[in-house]
Amino acid sequence: MNTPLSLLYLLIFPGGLFLIAMGLVYEWADRKLVAQFQNRIGPRWFQPLADVIKLLAKEEIIPAGVSSGLFTALPIVAVAAALTAALNVPMFGLRPAYSFSGDLIVAMYLLSLMTLCTGLAGANTNDRFSLIGATRTLTQLFSYEAPFMLALLGPAIMAGSWNISEINAYAESHLWMVVTQPIGALVAIIGLMGKLELPPFDAPEAETEIVSGALTEYSGRGLALFHIGKDIELVIGLTMVSAFYFGGLSNPIYFIVKTVVLLLITAGLQSLFARLRIDQTVGMWWRLGALLALLQLLVLIVFKGFGL
Amino acid sequence: MDSVWTKTLNQVKTWARINSPWAIHFNSGSCNGCDIEILATLTPRYDVERFGIKLQGSPRHADVLICTGPVTRQAKNRLLRIYEQMPDPKFVIAVGSCGLSGGAFQGCYNITGNINEVIPVDVYVPGCPPRPEAIIYGVAQLLAKLQAPAPAVKEG
Repeated sequence: MNTPLSLLYLLIFPGGLFLIAMGLVYEWADRKLVAQFQNRIGPRWFQPLADVIKLLAKEEIIPAGVSSGLFTALPIVAVAAALTAALNVPMFGLRPAYSFSGDLIVAMYLLSLMTLCTGLAGANTNDRFSLIGATRTLTQLFSYEAPFMLALLGPAIMAGSWNISEINAYAESHLWMVVTQPIGALVAIIGLMGKLELPPFDAPEAETEIVSGALTEYSGRGLALFHIGKDIELVIGLTMVSAFYFGGLSNPIYFIVKTVVLLLITAGLQSLFARLRIDQTVGMWWRLGALLALLQLLVLIVFKGFGL
Repeated sequence: MDSVWTKTLNQVKTWARINSPWAIHFNSGSCNGCDIEILATLTPRYDVERFGIKLQGSPRHADVLICTGPVTRQAKNRLLRIYEQMPDPKFVIAVGSCGLSGGAFQGCYNITGNINEVIPVDVYVPGCPPRPEAIIYGVAQLLAKLQAPAPAVKEG
């Protein structure tokens, strides 16, 4: 790998600028769709961009009693992790920039790092709302992570590989896995919403109860970086789920159509359901989500074991 | 060269500020009439997300402090603290007659006075209570003020 090409990968195409722009566009689409479902007109197309620029241009207050190094570093680590995860997924329907055996696990953990950073950011500040938010963020991490992982394991088992691009290639050449593994697809979509803390699972940042959760004390640049990180995570999550369950992403047109349809589904679910309490979220995931995902896995193993 | 760069950057910053005013709402002793109107402003009927206005819970995330009511002696320190917690640049909109002058509570033993006596106010929205349209107009006035160059100071 020569250096200019690597820099191009990191800064412009799958990582960096492209992904940030993509994330902002998808955030706008999500907000617009939710607004339309609520009979509103919704934000203008440049709204997320204006929000981010405004936050970047604002003063950043480092509150008393925090470890200021950690306070500054955590948003950067979060964005870096999300951007790194993007290198392994078939972004925009093209080949992943870096591909190796087992990159599914790496991408999953890099995406979790973002949530972990949010949790640590909340625990780092002395504010009570941040602390409650951090506790809830981490609790929710432990509840959706296992079922989501199991749901992504299904396609991996069918493809016989831990490599995202190999699974993608398998999904392209076979029947859509949303048809063959409907339970896994359901768990993956809802798991994605849990991962992104979208409305039915937004107890960690419930603005009516705990101000803004873990990010209450963040202002200016830190908040902007967390916003960007969340947007990138949205794009990567949509890419992964549609690559695995919705027949793979072989070209940019498929990428746009499939991720936007998936976004439409998640936006619909967002406006349909009211917020779950944190204990309800955990209960739902472990009593229902994990069991369903395990059932799906069992079916797959039996199916594969008999060599069908 | 340098000044062109700074000028462009400032234009971009102003553009972003005008298009994304995040608000926080604080009641420093109002009768709740104005607060109900503010909440009505945030409902889907008026849909302020069209202008990028978003209600934030945390003063650290907010640009605009929408303040109602006269300032009672007890609320004075809280109002100051909320204002100090907001990162620069920050703006204040006083909503309702009480915020302007003390209104019906003017001269009360437990009142410090109007909002401008405690924190600097950028825009006043009169009314008892003002209608949601008036509140949106107030925000629009604030945004127009951001866009316009600072008025010339009179010499002497």
